[in-house]
Amino acid sequence: MIDSRPVSYKKVSDMPEMPAAFNSISWNKTGTWRYIKPRYQDKLAPCREGCPAGEDIEKYIELIKEERYVEAYMLIMEENPFPSVCGRVCYHPCEDNCNRRNFDREVSINSLERLVADFARTTKKGEAFLAKERQANVRNKMKRKVAIVGSGPAGLTCAFHLARIGYNVTVYEALSEIGGILAVGIPDYRLPKDILKWEINQILSLGVEVKTNLKIGKDIEFEKIRRGHDCVFLATGAHKNRKLGIPGDDLPGVYSGLDFLRRVNTGQRVELGEFVAVIGGGNTAIDVARSALRLKKKVKILYRRTKNEMPANEEEISEAEREGAILEFLAAPVRVIEENGRIIGMECVRMRLGNVDSGGRRTPVPVKESNFIIEADNIITATGEETDFSYLPEDIRINEGAVEIDMVGATSINGVFAGGDIIDQPRTVVHAIGSGKRGAIAIDCFIKGKNPLAFMEDIELGSKGSVSMRCYTDGAGDNEKNRTIVGFENINLDYFEVSERGRMPYVSVKNRLKGFKEVKLGLSREIALRDAERCFSCGSCTCCDNCYIFCPDISVLRKEGEEGYIFDYDHCKGCGICAEECPRYVISMEEEER
Amino acid sequence: MKKLIMGNHAVSFGVMLSRVDVIAAYPITPQTQVVELLSEMCADKKINTRFLKVESEHSAMASCIGASTAGARTFTATSSQGLLLMHELLHWAAGARLPIVMANVNRALGPAWNIWTEETDSLAQRDTGWIQMYCESNQEILDTVFQAYKIAEKTLLPLMLAYDGFYLSHTLEPVDIPDQKTVDSFLPGYEPQIKVDVDNPNAFGSIAYPEHYMEMRYLIKKAMDGVRDVAVKVNDEFRDIFKRGYGIIEKYKTEDARVLLITTGTAASTTRIVIDNLRKRGNKIGMIRIKMFRPFPSQEIRDAVRGYDKIAVIDRNMSFGVGGIFAQEIRAALSGYSNMPVVFEFIAGLGGRDITPNTIEEITKYTLNHERGEEGGIWAGLKI
Repeated sequence: MIDSRPVSYKKVSDMPEMPAAFNSISWNKTGTWRYIKPRYQDKLAPCREGCPAGEDIEKYIELIKEERYVEAYMLIMEENPFPSVCGRVCYHPCEDNCNRRNFDREVSINSLERLVADFARTTKKGEAFLAKERQANVRNKMKRKVAIVGSGPAGLTCAFHLARIGYNVTVYEALSEIGGILAVGIPDYRLPKDILKWEINQILSLGVEVKTNLKIGKDIEFEKIRRGHDCVFLATGAHKNRKLGIPGDDLPGVYSGLDFLRRVNTGQRVELGEFVAVIGGGNTAIDVARSALRLKKKVKILYRRTKNEMPANEEEISEAEREGAILEFLAAPVRVIEENGRIIGMECVRMRLGNVDSGGRRTPVPVKESNFIIEADNIITATGEETDFSYLPEDIRINEGAVEIDMVGATSINGVFAGGDIIDQPRTVVHAIGSGKRGAIAIDCFIKGKNPLAFMEDIELGSKGSVSMRCYTDGAGDNEKNRTIVGFENINLDYFEVSERGRMPYVSVKNRLKGFKEVKLGLSREIALRDAERCFSCGSCTCCDNCYIFCPDISVLRKEGEEGYIFDYDHCKGCGICAEECPRYVISMEEEER
Repeated sequence: MKKLIMGNHAVSFGVMLSRVDVIAAYPITPQTQVVELLSEMCADKKINTRFLKVESEHSAMASCIGASTAGARTFTATSSQGLLLMHELLHWAAGARLPIVMANVNRALGPAWNIWTEETDSLAQRDTGWIQMYCESNQEILDTVFQAYKIAEKTLLPLMLAYDGFYLSHTLEPVDIPDQKTVDSFLPGYEPQIKVDVDNPNAFGSIAYPEHYMEMRYLIKKAMDGVRDVAVKVNDEFRDIFKRGYGIIEKYKTEDARVLLITTGTAASTTRIVIDNLRKRGNKIGMIRIKMFRPFPSQEIRDAVRGYDKIAVIDRNMSFGVGGIFAQEIRAALSGYSNMPVVFEFIAGLGGRDITPNTIEEITKYTLNHERGEEGGIWAGLKI
């Protein structure tokens, strides 16, 4: 046992010549000098905050680095049951938020997600994970029943999470296809059907029942569904076509974009002439254009504004151009021109950009006497879709074309929740998935009589609206980790080198136009690993030992028996070197409370 | 065995034969060959020494401090700017009472950038608590390494041996290199009083409150006071075995001299020749070479100059605002004692300018022809 009293000598002759203390100097609590102190606390990576599905991105990239793909898959599945889908079609706001963007280029998060999902699918190892979940599901099975209306990404996500908790879930689908927009809206070259099917089967394997060809309001009354279940989740999306409202818009040969895509996706024949004019600037317009190109048509996309205002994915636009689509900007349709009941063209008017509207975009204004005519055999409209509320009871509150919900997704009808494109949120797959998860949490709270608002603070990931299912089911309690976002200025760039972002290989334009084969080939394992290594691991301790090595007071200690570090606050002087040298802002300094 | 070697390699052989455990160094002109040869010896396993490559002189000295605290016999070498970078840790090494030995090749400080010899670099470290010894020949360099470890380890003080860049560092001279057995018979292994020992833990470098700190400093002073006697004794032991030796100061033809020149390093060698020539012409001049600068041999110098009329101190260094550093130390040593000579101060050979026989003759002439010198020193050979 080391004596820890201060050293004391009576005379100089008692002193050793060398200034050493023969006992410990731990009595000298230098920690009392401190006025700021280091805090070892994982923080939220901006990619995760930016992911509407709330995937634990930096953690799964960490697992990829160690080639633990199945665990990475499981981690994604805990938040989002659609990694194969999202790894292909998500517009990846995660990458827009990636701190690496300010350094060289963002990490290829989207491609890494796809790699993980493809690994789980092709090796069949993903199924094993769900088999375990299934067993747990059988054990925890509850009698409570939930109806999900609509089998799109919002509905199936809600079903997946509820089934995992133990609910009896039935999904009602009006079409014969399961998957909603994923199945009938997104073309094969972006999302191959077999991959989507596999992913949906993964979800259904948890014991989720699906009733297809059953349209609420037509085949069965909404009230009956509602009475037969403890809760209902509305996820019927937005698929009603908006008419152009111009002369000739009802001629045969004028198709709605979603209708066209559904027919192409389900293998039905669509009569098309040589020239196809697509109207709109969103992703549906691009999907239509690229599908028509694969049907060997000449395609022109008309958009009222300029390329800068196009809501479609930048990459999708450029790929459409590479494949031969001609983009005609600042052009709006005026009338469809017919000859003997057959479309021969369309009269358009030139637009110019006016004042900025409430959505932040400049409003297009027609230029007088600027009409012109384009050649067209078919016109496909993709100017936005509307929601269909006709099946819902009249007393449900609707606001500006969307079902009104509260913070957690509850509609004005008790026990009825809603998500996806039917509510007011960005119409993306990943937002639909996020709302499905939020709905599942709200439904669980509702059935168990818990106040969901009380949980929100504990499960929210930053302030952009996404929540964590894992935090909810694990009862994470204090959600401190997820309240502080790691900014670019928090990263110590001395520890990173500029490196090239992994490049996604594409099928050549010539080959891809031969059919509907998937265009993106996926990253090779080698490139993916290299890209995973580029991840800053913002806010997540990787046990790099920097703090441990740099501490001049030996006051950063390795945890015993587990990974991570603790501070010896008795002796830490609060110099902040550990926080400075932490490459990823796991250690931060905070004011000392005395 | 006699070998024709440069001064830098004399250090290397000295370190090799002193069975040093740890070397930590960073290269700098004109020191580089010292550690270059030692690193080769380490790489070739000719010596059982751990060579630490470091990223700076500050780290070099820090590593030496760590190694020495662990009980290792430790060596480093540097020069000029590198020595200045070590400054903080020089105090630490002395305060910690670690017998580290360092070779400093005297080199001028920038700017203007200059790699040639001048003693300001090591003399600027005079308050760090290090013993300092200045050598005149490559043989003396080698021999001083052996003595250095013995003195340092007996007094628990670090020791810096210094010698002129290029005049010694890069100049070949015949040097008698003893065999290992002979060196071993002179220099035993280092047995530290206290060292880092996991079985017997001690705390190093901890805080001392005002009630103890002053006493600890006093212990250093006492140790420093004891160095003269230890150095003389060690030199005697050395002379017994090796049949040669060096005083902490050396006198040359002082007995009947009218004026004494006082200098150090290679300037002393030139001075000897000048004295011989002047004596042929009837000018009775003598010289004192100061080898040990810290602790300053005040008593020895007083004894040596008592009764003379004039002494001329030739400083190859400068403390701006005062003058030559040796001259100031000598003035301080003589102050208050009776029968002491007038002190003439000369500054010569800064930045490696040759101190030629002519320079020394002019200095001598001036001293002979003047009642007193100029405060702050006369700059010999100044081209203004």
